[in-house]
Amino acid sequence: MNEIITGWLFDVYPNETNLTIWVIGDDGQRHRFFQDFSVSVYAAGPFPRLRQLWKWLEEQPVQVFLSRKERKDVFRGMVSVLAVDVPQPARLDGLFRAMVSEFPDLTFYDGDISIQLRYAAAFDVFPLARCRVEVQGVKVIKIAPLDTPWDLEPEPAPLRILSVEPDCDPARGTPKAVIIAFGRNKYTLPINHEKKASLFWTVRADIKRFDPDLILTSWGDTWLMPYMVRTSQENGFNLPLNRDESQAVVERKEHTYFSYGQIVYRGRQVQLRGRWHIDRHNAMLWNDYGLEGVLEMARVTRQPVQDAARLSPGTGISSMQFVTALQKGILIPWHKHQAETPKTAMDLLRSDMGGMVYQPTIGLHHDVAGIDFVSMYPGMMVKYNISPEVPRAGNDPSTCSGQRLEPADGESGIVPMTLAPLLNKRLALKSLIMTLPTLDCCRPTYQALASAEKWLLVTCFGYLGYKNARFGRIEAHEAVTAYGREALLRAKEAAEDMDYEILHMYVDGLWVHKEGCKTPADYEALLAEITERTGLPISLDGIYKWVVFLPSRVNERVPVPNRYFGVFQDGSVKVRGIEARRRDTAPFITETQMGVLEILAKAPDADGLKDVLPKAQAFVGKQLTALRKGQVPLEKLLVSQRLTREVGEYSSPSPAARAVKQLQAAGRTVRPGQRVRFLFTHGRPGVQAWDVPQSPDPRTVDLPRYCTLFLRAVETVLAPIQQSVSAALHLDARLGQADTGVRFFKTPTACDLSSDYVQQPLRPSPFP
Amino acid sequence: MGRTLPSVTQVFMQEEAAFARFRRALRRTDQLALDDLFTAARQHLAAAQYASHTLPFETFLLSMLLEEHKEVMRLRQQMDDVLSRQS
Repeated sequence: MNEIITGWLFDVYPNETNLTIWVIGDDGQRHRFFQDFSVSVYAAGPFPRLRQLWKWLEEQPVQVFLSRKERKDVFRGMVSVLAVDVPQPARLDGLFRAMVSEFPDLTFYDGDISIQLRYAAAFDVFPLARCRVEVQGVKVIKIAPLDTPWDLEPEPAPLRILSVEPDCDPARGTPKAVIIAFGRNKYTLPINHEKKASLFWTVRADIKRFDPDLILTSWGDTWLMPYMVRTSQENGFNLPLNRDESQAVVERKEHTYFSYGQIVYRGRQVQLRGRWHIDRHNAMLWNDYGLEGVLEMARVTRQPVQDAARLSPGTGISSMQFVTALQKGILIPWHKHQAETPKTAMDLLRSDMGGMVYQPTIGLHHDVAGIDFVSMYPGMMVKYNISPEVPRAGNDPSTCSGQRLEPADGESGIVPMTLAPLLNKRLALKSLIMTLPTLDCCRPTYQALASAEKWLLVTCFGYLGYKNARFGRIEAHEAVTAYGREALLRAKEAAEDMDYEILHMYVDGLWVHKEGCKTPADYEALLAEITERTGLPISLDGIYKWVVFLPSRVNERVPVPNRYFGVFQDGSVKVRGIEARRRDTAPFITETQMGVLEILAKAPDADGLKDVLPKAQAFVGKQLTALRKGQVPLEKLLVSQRLTREVGEYSSPSPAARAVKQLQAAGRTVRPGQRVRFLFTHGRPGVQAWDVPQSPDPRTVDLPRYCTLFLRAVETVLAPIQQSVSAALHLDARLGQADTGVRFFKTPTACDLSSDYVQQPLRPSPFP
Repeated sequence: MGRTLPSVTQVFMQEEAAFARFRRALRRTDQLALDDLFTAARQHLAAAQYASHTLPFETFLLSMLLEEHKEVMRLRQQMDDVLSRQS
């Protein structure tokens, strides 16, 4: 007798013989089922070698079903392959590794695709999908989805969340208690290092009582979970972290890798079975989009939730492509052997370019509209069918005749096919957000979802040009940038034809100004014209009351593309490239710079700046006095920098490297890619690492250095405003108007300050 | 990041560096004027990149000329204004 259950798909993973499937039923029960699921890998190569592989496979202790098949390789067309079906999914990894080392000359496909993605592709399901499961006892007979990852308002699963966090950062000290929260209950549980049993009995009782679906921790991957697992093993406690007690807790090692010109560090991971564990401090972009975003990532990428929380958006977008490929019967190469096609020097010169980045007109501008193409690069990939396997006649869209950029012919490629639903979902979410009132309680949720999707869309462009990406190809990547440049230039031409002044252009956005254009309605005609000429949607990011494009620090006549700040008509501030945006700026300095901007933002328009300027200057004076008197708490002076290589590899150690040496002396290890927090101090080595047990002496803090950094940040925002106000006053004076009474605050330079500083004795800070 | 070709900014800096000996032998006042010319060329790097000319220095020279001509036009306009006010 078959039983039908509806609910949310919670987790899928292989066990010894088949797959374990967890479903949260509509009845509130957490069901564990099993399902038979066979997985396939393919091998291609010379016929005699495939024959040998066939014989070799038949001798292996793993049960396999072998057959000859025709399959599509995106780069090589139809190929004849040996299909290896493995009915025990857990045995695949070992078999595949053995196969590769025994037959390194063959081309393998689909070998390293995770079971969860295969399952998602086979049944069109995804984590937290609403589904209808037909079961016989504990065996799944049939599973079918009731919704799609593209639904805007999926029915939320009733997740039970248990939050466990230590009372302090384990890197900085030894935690003395853990804070446990569940629903409305919250309590602190002391850790008694002699008598560990009490802690474990309580945690065990909580897990048994609440039976959480998600254990949300702080530093759970790096400290809490390993500590609990280790101690419970040493003392023989049975701690039911896994809901599935037949499985062990999965631990993965830390690693460091190089991505987008940066060293990235990924901490150790601890994953549970039948339950999820997410560590807030080891979740990618947790601060950007939180749990809502993580669940959205899992839904759209089909990665298991515990992986989705920890993996980069690049892996996410690859997973989506894999699912598309599996569903369309396209082979996923294990290692890509696709080299760049030969090009002449002239071809290279024409095509090896990025997006168009203009040099802005330096200075303060009033009533400026920022207009952006909506998801430009992914939008173009979908619209113009840019995919590695789609042939392109040439990469220069500027030679396209006709009003619109012509899409490539032929059937949709794998990249556009994967992106289209994601892009449409994001656009739908964005327009939904636009219609909601500012204080609507759903707004943050939708924003988290849109933000998670934004990251996926952003990375998909990079992956198109990444030589190791399975569906990457540099020509496709170049085509995208070529279309981007063309669209931006067409937008510029449209704006200039309509008498707008172009102040700046940056890859997918323009900043334009026209005397008298102050409301969104004034720009509608321009937006329509650009859409007409490019065929791409463009939207008004906002109208700035005023915006300042900053010059380079080295030469004040040379503009830099991405360093500006401005205030929108609604009073919100936008900053790019200035100190406040940098992660290595001390919080106190960021706070001051943003404080100044908030004060300036109160001016009703650019003309009103002269009235708020004295207030901003007074604020700076107050902050500076606090800094010089040592009244700023040390936490606010912390500088955080990334360690870019092993400490021994520095020829002249950076401040971060010197701080790491102190950490190492205190017995801590820091891997490249990790951030180090420190204070600038007097004398050698000039820094004091923060994450060491002893607190630094406030008297040693190098205040003159902080003053220099402080003044530099203040000058960035105040100098252009002062210049423009003084120019305006100068003009007023010439026109014979009365003195407005504004007196300029001369920003003291670093030298005046340090000399005057030396004369004052250092006073100890009242803040330890 | 691995690039097959240097970016236009890199090419510009190489070209500027190639004139270091020339610059050194100039009078200080002339050196400053030369620096101004290079600064002027910098304003149009985006256009120079898009042009992807095989001899980029030609584009830089044209950019310098362009900025010079803008200045001539501005001064001419000012001159006209002054003259018209006098008459």
